[in-house]
Amino acid sequence: MISLVKKLGAWGAVLPLLGYCAIALGLPIWAILWDGLHLTNPQNTSETTGSLTLANLTTSWHGIYLKGLETSLRLSLFTAIISALVGLFAAYAIAQSKGRYFKQAVLTASGVLANFGGIPLAFCFIATIGTGGVFLSWIQSVWPSFALDTFSGVAVVYPYFLIPLMVLTTLPALDGLREQWKEASANLGGTSWQYWRHIGGPLLFPAALGGFVLCFGSSFAAYATAKALTDGTVPLVTTQIASILSGNVIAGENDLGMALAFNTVIVCGVMMAVYLPLRKRSAKWLES
Amino acid sequence: MHRITKLACAAAAVTLAASACSSNSSTTSSGSGSTNWATVTSASAGGGMTALIAAAKAEGSLNVIALPPTWANYGTLMAEFKAKYGITVNDANPNGSSGDEINAIEHDKGLATAPDVVDVGNSHALPNTNLFSDYEVSTWANIPAGLKDANGSWYGDYGGYISIGCVAAKVAPAPCPTTFAELLDSSYTADYKGKVSLDGDPTSANAAFSGVWAAALASGGSLSNIQPGISYFGKLKSNGEFNATGDTESTIEAGSTDITIDWEYLNSQYASDLKSKGITMSVAIPTDGLYSAYYDQAISKYAPHPAAARLWEEFLYSAEGQNGFMGGYARPVEFAAMQSAGTLDATDEKLLPTVSGSVSYPTESELTTAQNAVTSGWATALG
Amino acid sequence: MRSASISASHSPAAAPVGARRPKRRGLDLSRVRWWRVAVLGVLGIYFVVPLAATFWFTFYTPGTHQFSLSPYGQIFSAKGFGTSVLLTFKVAVLTIVILYALLIPAMIAVQLRLPKLKPLLESLAMVPLVLSPVALVVGVQTVLGWGTNGNPGTPLFQLAVDLQNGNFPLILPIIYVVIALPFAYRSLDAQLRSVDLKTLVEASRGLGASWPVTIWRAVLPNLRTGLLSGAILTLALVFGEYTISSILQFLPFSVWIVQDSQGATSGQLAPAVSLLSLLLSWAVLFLVSFLGGRRAAGSNRSS
Repeated sequence: MISLVKKLGAWGAVLPLLGYCAIALGLPIWAILWDGLHLTNPQNTSETTGSLTLANLTTSWHGIYLKGLETSLRLSLFTAIISALVGLFAAYAIAQSKGRYFKQAVLTASGVLANFGGIPLAFCFIATIGTGGVFLSWIQSVWPSFALDTFSGVAVVYPYFLIPLMVLTTLPALDGLREQWKEASANLGGTSWQYWRHIGGPLLFPAALGGFVLCFGSSFAAYATAKALTDGTVPLVTTQIASILSGNVIAGENDLGMALAFNTVIVCGVMMAVYLPLRKRSAKWLES
Repeated sequence: MHRITKLACAAAAVTLAASACSSNSSTTSSGSGSTNWATVTSASAGGGMTALIAAAKAEGSLNVIALPPTWANYGTLMAEFKAKYGITVNDANPNGSSGDEINAIEHDKGLATAPDVVDVGNSHALPNTNLFSDYEVSTWANIPAGLKDANGSWYGDYGGYISIGCVAAKVAPAPCPTTFAELLDSSYTADYKGKVSLDGDPTSANAAFSGVWAAALASGGSLSNIQPGISYFGKLKSNGEFNATGDTESTIEAGSTDITIDWEYLNSQYASDLKSKGITMSVAIPTDGLYSAYYDQAISKYAPHPAAARLWEEFLYSAEGQNGFMGGYARPVEFAAMQSAGTLDATDEKLLPTVSGSVSYPTESELTTAQNAVTSGWATALG
Repeated sequence: MRSASISASHSPAAAPVGARRPKRRGLDLSRVRWWRVAVLGVLGIYFVVPLAATFWFTFYTPGTHQFSLSPYGQIFSAKGFGTSVLLTFKVAVLTIVILYALLIPAMIAVQLRLPKLKPLLESLAMVPLVLSPVALVVGVQTVLGWGTNGNPGTPLFQLAVDLQNGNFPLILPIIYVVIALPFAYRSLDAQLRSVDLKTLVEASRGLGASWPVTIWRAVLPNLRTGLLSGAILTLALVFGEYTISSILQFLPFSVWIVQDSQGATSGQLAPAVSLLSLLLSWAVLFLVSFLGGRRAAGSNRSS
């Protein structure tokens, strides 16, 4: 049993982080929840401004908003899975290479590209495979119904910042896989498959899972790129939030926007509920 | 590790020290003398234009928000204002939206960087009169009655009609469309394929929302029924003609959006810019779907520079300011009055596309109904 | 599924221990190399072609058959370039410092002593990720408004004002720490697992080192790749972040660049500007990683 002093010391190391998050993250989320649960724009005389209400939350779970949430989830899951797989393999390929400058260049380029998005990224793809784009005909020769301003179009663009993100977060773990372990395994008569099954896989899986989760979250929160590409024809909860809170058409519905934002926090909670048990099992795999 | 950490610690220390030492004036600057310009409702009530100019100069700067320099010639107008009165114009968040402007008024009270004046669409001006200060410019009578608030809370400044811009060379052999009906003409469908665009998402961009409304008016809808407009674009999409990429000058130049349904002042600005790139773009106002909207000026109730704010309004509504808008291809709100008085800039006037027919403007409730219809119907009709 | 796709690239040929080993490894490696080249090649095309197409668009005007790099030259000479880059850099450095000062002790403590807190930490590192930046910034505006909507004399008011000082808005690093938290956490977490923290710390403490020295000299050098990639991600994040800083009306590099390209009468300027900002960010990051990388050669022996 760890002594009380040691435990207190450990808590002392953790409390600054928790305190900081409570203020810098907790306060804005509190403000979001508060706004979501109160009326700012009463639609009929029986309601008064500022009264407590569930109306915003219920609206956000129906109709076009529900569709937006569903499409967002579908898009995020799909792009996250693809980017995680490709990114993992790319990170493996990069970790294997010997050139130090090459690795640094790729690492830093990944950092920059992982944050590249919005209208500039949309324009890069419009210039390439949008209508009038140079390479559109090439793509359409293998994929006749492809169009950039659809769900598939957005799904083609998102990995542009998701794959670098995956590379960046799994490269440290892949770097940690020492080449000696592979040789040792081969020396003992193990095949590659066995190496990955018993050594490499368990070590890599938590980092890969974490990277996937990061990709999913990043994909879910993105909105400017999809907005520029699809004019709202692909409903996403994040573009809906932006239209309400920071748009030129809808006014006075900030409470609904905040309710939608709170839904994203709920999504996060659900994801955690799925992810944490998975991670526990992966830890057990390592011990087995 | 040492060198990096030394650098980091030094940088952190410097920045923390800098932020601690820098002072920030947060009190609102009061006007000179005894006039509290924050409550003055007209120049004459405050002691005349000379007093206003003196008070504004004393304040020294003006905070505007969300004014792109190439939108309705705002860049030139801000520069002219500065040159004329020596007052610095701080343009925050130039790509911001009307929603950002209202948010800024609500949340930035007490900050020296709070916005003094805003330029918002009707959808954001009408419901937020409690955030604005009443003020009537000297040329108040020249503003048409339907385009200003009776109490002086907000007032239209410039506007335009929804137009159809078109790069003739790219849609040939089909002609450039001049009506909404032409866009659905089956003989031109192949030529228009993938080329028709709006200026963004109708639930978020005013120009796109207005484009849908103009299409509604052309398809049997009215100011109280925007649904035919949504169906119109649904049909365009199923024909393969609609390109959901929002049009910008870059996308037109890249050849992605050759037909743009947008405000006439934006299309005309693009046309004039693209001429030097060897691209000829025409701008036509559709005869079957006449929709126009004016943006509104308003002074924030919590403006840190109330005198400068009022001087800015006086400037925008003078002949100089109104002609300035026209230089950016927008229709100044005092157009009719200036035409009779002969103060319109003749050269700029000729640049405006011809319009035949009259328009009326939607009421606040009609706006809300239309917004709700578009929010729930757009993605379903076009998804 | 994942291991299957990776192991497909390895030849599963069994061989007796000893004699044939070098040959199998030779075969193994060349097949892997082929796969690596193919995947990296395809990815290279995916990432480079859109950038190249955009560059071509800014460089060549088909209507007048002109080639010109003029959009790029305008940026450096424009007013405010240096100020905005410096501001962004300062904000980024402060963000990284605060972030690591909070994260590293916490992660070590949780790994060693408080494993039950791991799920909480993981959740904390997830929430900022999925939260829409627009909603977050409006939430922050509301919270700041609690200060500024109060009486001008109160300390809360003054705090809210100081946080938003235009010369150095402290509120920006404060928010960015929260946003960068998921990325930095993942990078560190990925590497923390592969390091035998318990043994390291016990050995170091056993030799009489105090906690700070243990962390500084024993633990951190082993986390260098994770620390570096987390720092790079944060730096890139701050340089690329636009929504929050523009709505709060500050002028870091990303906002300045949009503002600067606004006065243009050219559709080629905006894409040129974004390409240039990509390149500049990469250059800054590369230089920074170089400084860290140089140390790697020296300290590898000590880890």
